[in-house]
Amino acid sequence: MTYFSFLRAECCLVWRRKQNVVNSVLFFLLVIVLFPLGIDATPMFLSKAASGIIWCAAALAILTSIDSLFKEDYHDGSLEQWLISGLSVPILVLIKMTLHWLFIALPLLLLSPILSEVLYLPDNSFWPLFLSIVLATPSLFLLGGIGSAITVSLRQGGVLMLLIVLPLYLPIIIFATSITKAAQVGLPYDAPLAILAAIFLVSLVVSPLMTAISIKASVN
Amino acid sequence: MSWAWFHRLGSPKWFYGRFKAWPKPLFCLACLCLVVAMVWGLAIAPPDYQQGNSFRIIYVHVPAAILAQSCYFAMGIAGIVYLVWQIKMSPIFLQAAAPFGALMAFTALLTGSIWGKPTWGTWWVWDARLTSVLVLLFLYMGVIAVQSALEERPLADKAAAVVSVVGLLNLPIIKYSVEWWNTLHQGATFSITEPPSMPMAMWLPLLFAVIGLYLLTAAVIMWRMQTEIMRREARTQWLKQEVLSDGI
Repeated sequence: MTYFSFLRAECCLVWRRKQNVVNSVLFFLLVIVLFPLGIDATPMFLSKAASGIIWCAAALAILTSIDSLFKEDYHDGSLEQWLISGLSVPILVLIKMTLHWLFIALPLLLLSPILSEVLYLPDNSFWPLFLSIVLATPSLFLLGGIGSAITVSLRQGGVLMLLIVLPLYLPIIIFATSITKAAQVGLPYDAPLAILAAIFLVSLVVSPLMTAISIKASVN
Repeated sequence: MSWAWFHRLGSPKWFYGRFKAWPKPLFCLACLCLVVAMVWGLAIAPPDYQQGNSFRIIYVHVPAAILAQSCYFAMGIAGIVYLVWQIKMSPIFLQAAAPFGALMAFTALLTGSIWGKPTWGTWWVWDARLTSVLVLLFLYMGVIAVQSALEERPLADKAAAVVSVVGLLNLPIIKYSVEWWNTLHQGATFSITEPPSMPMAMWLPLLFAVIGLYLLTAAVIMWRMQTEIMRREARTQWLKQEVLSDGI
């Protein structure tokens, strides 16, 4: 196994299980529909809440899709193959995460213009929202991977994973939504953008390492 | 100076032997400090000119909040120590400290909301400090949940260490994110390095309360660690001898 063959095999796997991607995108849309129906469908409320709604839905969709990130690999023994392959496990983790991010985040990005119309997001805050999704969803994936790797050996690990990962998501959601809030009132938003980038870099360094440690502990 | 005694503390046997006699005196000292602090703070210290007697909850609230943070900090360090050096005592400490830290965070939240009602007029606000202590409580709960949900001991230990280290890295981010997001709570009231901003008659009991709660934490965590050592090492010869020589 080389890094390249691993990447190719993973691409193949994601493509053959495309229903998983479709499911999490559908889940994302359904969560978004809940908000106008459940709280208030007037443009006055929605235009203020749009970025928050999109972000909460995105975080939940990413969490549900990431829950099964390593499950199948654990059950069919692929994780053991990772460990004995002699390749660096953190890099394998990173490759897998990047791939899954591409497959989940791209549909979200493609849907975001439609959703911002549906939720009456003001025009001046669409690009900030787009930027925040591009910059912050990788951190959500990276941090979620840790929880997924810890709970991979449990049959009912989903709730435990949510419990571990959601507190870590709070700052990302706060900064991501403050970008669009600042943009709506015409304030500069480069400071929260820079902090999101910093969080991304920190999780890029820490998370593959921690995920690899958890995978090793889970497999043994 | 030889550091051998310090390195030996990484082994449960040495740790147990060395600190066997500590919790009880520490606990008594802690109780003494806390009784002094409570009597002084609740009965003798002068009432606040604005808040009247309601400010007296500070003698529970501030120490609990300080301990909630210190406990998590210590757990994060212990997590790093475990992940890097695989020292056996670290997961034992994590297991002993997590429920106590969670209790402290809960106490801080509870007393804070009781204090908030007369002073701010509401039980809860989405304020920076309140929210970050709430998140701290969730992080503690995550560590506890991981420890109890994972059946395999080595995996549970590793997972608890990973969660507490990641939480430690995230704590400053959470703190500043909520601080810039929203704030109503006043700044830090208690600091050793700066001269106190309140009169001595109010500050000294607070100092006693903080020291007392630190001692209490140390005593309780040591007790819990000893119990945990006994549970984990139940099959070893040295523990059998230890227990038998205690006259049981």
